[in-house]
Amino acid sequence: MTTSTLHRRRPRRPPGQLGGRRPLNDGFRRRAVVVGFLAPALIILTAFVGWPMLSALRLSFTDASGFGQETWVGLANYARVFTDSSILQAIGNTALYAVLFTPIALVVALVLALAVNSPQLPFREFFRTTLFLPFIVSLAVAAFAWSYLLDPQIGLLNYWLQAVGIRIGNVLEDPALAMPTVVLVAVWKSFGFYMVIFLAGLQDIPKSLYEAASLDGANGWRRFTNVTFPMLSNTMAFVVVIALIAALQAFDQIYVLTGGGPYRSTQTIVMEIYQSGFKDLELGFASALSYVLLVATLLLSLVQFLFFGRRGEDTSS
Amino acid sequence: MAAFAVSAVVVSGLAGCSADTPAASDGPVALTFWHGYTEADGDVLNGIVEDFNASQDDVKVTPQTKTWAVIDDTLLTALSSGEGPQIVAMPAERLPVYASKKALVNLDDFYADDTSNTAELNTEAVAMETVDGSKYGVPTGFVPLSVFYDKDKLAAAGISTFPTTWDEWVAAAKATTIDANGDGTPEQYGLALPDHGTVGNGVWASLFEGGGGSITNDDGTEATVDSAENIDTLTYWADAVAKDAISPTGLDGIDADALFTSGKAVMHIGGPWMTGLATDAGINYGIAPIPAGPEAQASSAIGVSMAVTAQASEAEQAAAEKFLAYFNEKEVATEWSLGSGWPALRTDVTPEDVNANATVAALTEFSDTSRALLPGVVNSTDVLTAVDEATQKALAGGDPAELLTAAQAAVQQALDN
Amino acid sequence: MTSTLSRPALTPPAASARTTARRHRRFKLSRALYLVGFLIVTAAIMLPVIIIVLTAFKPASEVNAYPPTLAPTVWTLDNFRAIFSELPFARLIGNSFVFAGGVTLFALVFDSLAAYALARLDFRGSKVLLIVIIASLMIPFQATLIPIYQLVSDLGWVNTFAGLILPRAADAFGIFFLRQFFLSLPRDLDNAARIDGASEFRVFWSVVLPNAIPALLTLGIFTFVNNWNDLLWPLVFTTESDHGTITSGLTLLTGPGGIIPQGVMMAGALIAVLPLAILFLMVQRRFIESVASSGLK
Repeated sequence: MTTSTLHRRRPRRPPGQLGGRRPLNDGFRRRAVVVGFLAPALIILTAFVGWPMLSALRLSFTDASGFGQETWVGLANYARVFTDSSILQAIGNTALYAVLFTPIALVVALVLALAVNSPQLPFREFFRTTLFLPFIVSLAVAAFAWSYLLDPQIGLLNYWLQAVGIRIGNVLEDPALAMPTVVLVAVWKSFGFYMVIFLAGLQDIPKSLYEAASLDGANGWRRFTNVTFPMLSNTMAFVVVIALIAALQAFDQIYVLTGGGPYRSTQTIVMEIYQSGFKDLELGFASALSYVLLVATLLLSLVQFLFFGRRGEDTSS
Repeated sequence: MAAFAVSAVVVSGLAGCSADTPAASDGPVALTFWHGYTEADGDVLNGIVEDFNASQDDVKVTPQTKTWAVIDDTLLTALSSGEGPQIVAMPAERLPVYASKKALVNLDDFYADDTSNTAELNTEAVAMETVDGSKYGVPTGFVPLSVFYDKDKLAAAGISTFPTTWDEWVAAAKATTIDANGDGTPEQYGLALPDHGTVGNGVWASLFEGGGGSITNDDGTEATVDSAENIDTLTYWADAVAKDAISPTGLDGIDADALFTSGKAVMHIGGPWMTGLATDAGINYGIAPIPAGPEAQASSAIGVSMAVTAQASEAEQAAAEKFLAYFNEKEVATEWSLGSGWPALRTDVTPEDVNANATVAALTEFSDTSRALLPGVVNSTDVLTAVDEATQKALAGGDPAELLTAAQAAVQQALDN
Repeated sequence: MTSTLSRPALTPPAASARTTARRHRRFKLSRALYLVGFLIVTAAIMLPVIIIVLTAFKPASEVNAYPPTLAPTVWTLDNFRAIFSELPFARLIGNSFVFAGGVTLFALVFDSLAAYALARLDFRGSKVLLIVIIASLMIPFQATLIPIYQLVSDLGWVNTFAGLILPRAADAFGIFFLRQFFLSLPRDLDNAARIDGASEFRVFWSVVLPNAIPALLTLGIFTFVNNWNDLLWPLVFTTESDHGTITSGLTLLTGPGGIIPQGVMMAGALIAVLPLAILFLMVQRRFIESVASSGLK
């Protein structure tokens, strides 16, 4: 209870104003404090994220296999990324996946968050927990369950639908349907995560805003567009970036469901990275492809930030 | 404590060099052996290792059971830091890529030595170990794909002896394909014919060979998949599947296994483990060789190889070779065959030697017609992907000639890389 | 659908009793419809989970039988028995707790310290540092796995809990997440404490952290679940099975020829997910409330 009063948001004064943070007069001590707070995390991140990233960057200019002998090959790996037709296809597939996954996952998560947040709904805690379950089951068994449902010969869904004369095709082996199916399963697996984050944002919206909107005669949809959505814009900016990063790194669900097929129609960039790195033992090329992905993600995220994040500038300190 | 650990990270991280663990000068040479035999076969293999350890004092092998998939996913990382095993078993098609990247020890001298007990090994099995003319492994498994069939359902269709030619086979499949409600989708299929990702990737290699064709030439340098023979073969099977619906399309090997165990398919091409699955599913099954095509009776083999990794020191290599030689002894090979349920790897082990296990005896009968799959081809993944695309599209109604022309280019590109 | 249900009352307060009663009835009916509709949606979403649960109780002959059935026709505990006889279950679960719990504890401490600095201690380059930290999320782990492994190996930490846990003792997502939360806490409180002469660490420890407990729980659950379910990491860093986790242990459940005995697999998955479900149920209330107040703004 105390926490909720404390967390009530209020307009912040710009730093340096009266009552704002007093600058520490001792510059050296201040820097020491900053370093003290950052050091543990930064040491870990430098050692186990930064250094490996630099190693990978170096490898991306070599023909390393992982076993020692490496020859400097300059930009050859990068040139191959942009000339190999199967890699270009994987880049296209990844873009398609991200374009499908990100909006669908976020809309599903937001709608369900609104639903389990609505006072109209009884047993809300039960529904919240239940809807979070797909996120916590392991992907391998989830993949079994989905294929048990979707199998065109011995699957449950087909068997049920047959009774009413409908026959679903082999969706995971149809080049046109495999990608949408994989996206569907991925959305199912991860919406719970985004839902919880949205729930967060929702509960932070002051009730008084809704009351004011109601007095103005706004109906449910208008209240959503005029109050909920604008108030969620910061949450949205965060979630969009996180979901985009996840989508551009799509791997697990594809690996277990289609293995990239049929005819490479669900082959993504990270599938290529995995195959070239761990199957073909071409670590140098896998590293180059990873860096291309990193740069692309960074650029897209910046665009997202500019697009969504303009208004809520309090993300930046 | 955390702070201490953290500073340790930095210090050794900057130092960045690994200290080589010196091999213990006294006592036996300790070797680690990764393998993926997770079932009863694993117990037998670990028993063989124990017997080896007990048979001498110089070498002590410690087996670690993982799955084949886990070995493939973790071997590279482990070897990159010298933390890997000295001996590793892996699916045979994975060996060439590790060998070509110098992760495995060249065993030519081992093979040349009489005491290695390699002279009697099945030459087709040894072909799996050969990359660029040198040998890098010892076979631990080599088993022909075979047909598993539901005896009761074949008998119900009046078929008492299993077909020996393609035409008989397709006729039997037609006879057991049942579409009672006439909606064009049978309730029971005569055959589960996977069109991609097949068991051991060998179903289509077997069929092509039966029709007189091949995927690559013998030394794995030239693509030969676009041939008149292969076009005939692919057309033959695409017709049987499309016109007579003897099998669903879009199956991979695992789907086909499930279709057979569910009772919806009467015949299925599989490996020896199907005996266990069929028993679990309560199917009265039989095993037969893949029927002969117009040109040959051929079945592609599922292979497993065992190799010595390059991280092994010289002493460890010598010790590992001792174990390989022991494994190749006739008595051990027979024990391993019976325990694994796979035919013996030595040609001097006869069906009578292994008649204690009916499956092994049956498989041994026709194991001399089995062929290694794409021996020595480093980039077998891309070759098989190209072939899969052609077969899957052909069974879905594509033109075999065009598809094989496209596959030819893709296979050649994979071989050239 | 929400829009019709929660349409605000525009009738003046002096509405007749009859209208109120009718509205009341309508409200009850719509509420019931809403519940039924939502139950159907939830059931559809839960179908795969239900399949997992029910398959765990099917005998092997029924797992792939045709016609397929949702519930077993014969219920059996054989799959659970197989799990306990084939895997050192207690040890694997224990290892999972040490690994996922260890990572979670370290990450919460280290991430919150760093997040505090990024949110509260205005220093030069903080924004650049934040971007660099977020950018580190953008490289797929497949690319850095081998360099990380080489480092862990150089440290002699392969097959130790240190090697499993410490590389993940801080993570960029957690820092980003907590920073956003700290930003939303009013500064008046910590400023008051500063004026009273409290050190930065004291402000962090006694003022900010107590108010951030819900956010820490939220991040804790995310971190714990992700590590508990992680497969490749424990497989790569524990070449011997002594330190394997339950998730990595389940991969050993392949049958001959690499065919996975599905029923046993589902039983194992069910047991593996149970601690997570219980944990989530326990913290669920505060958890939702927490993400709630974190707001990520």
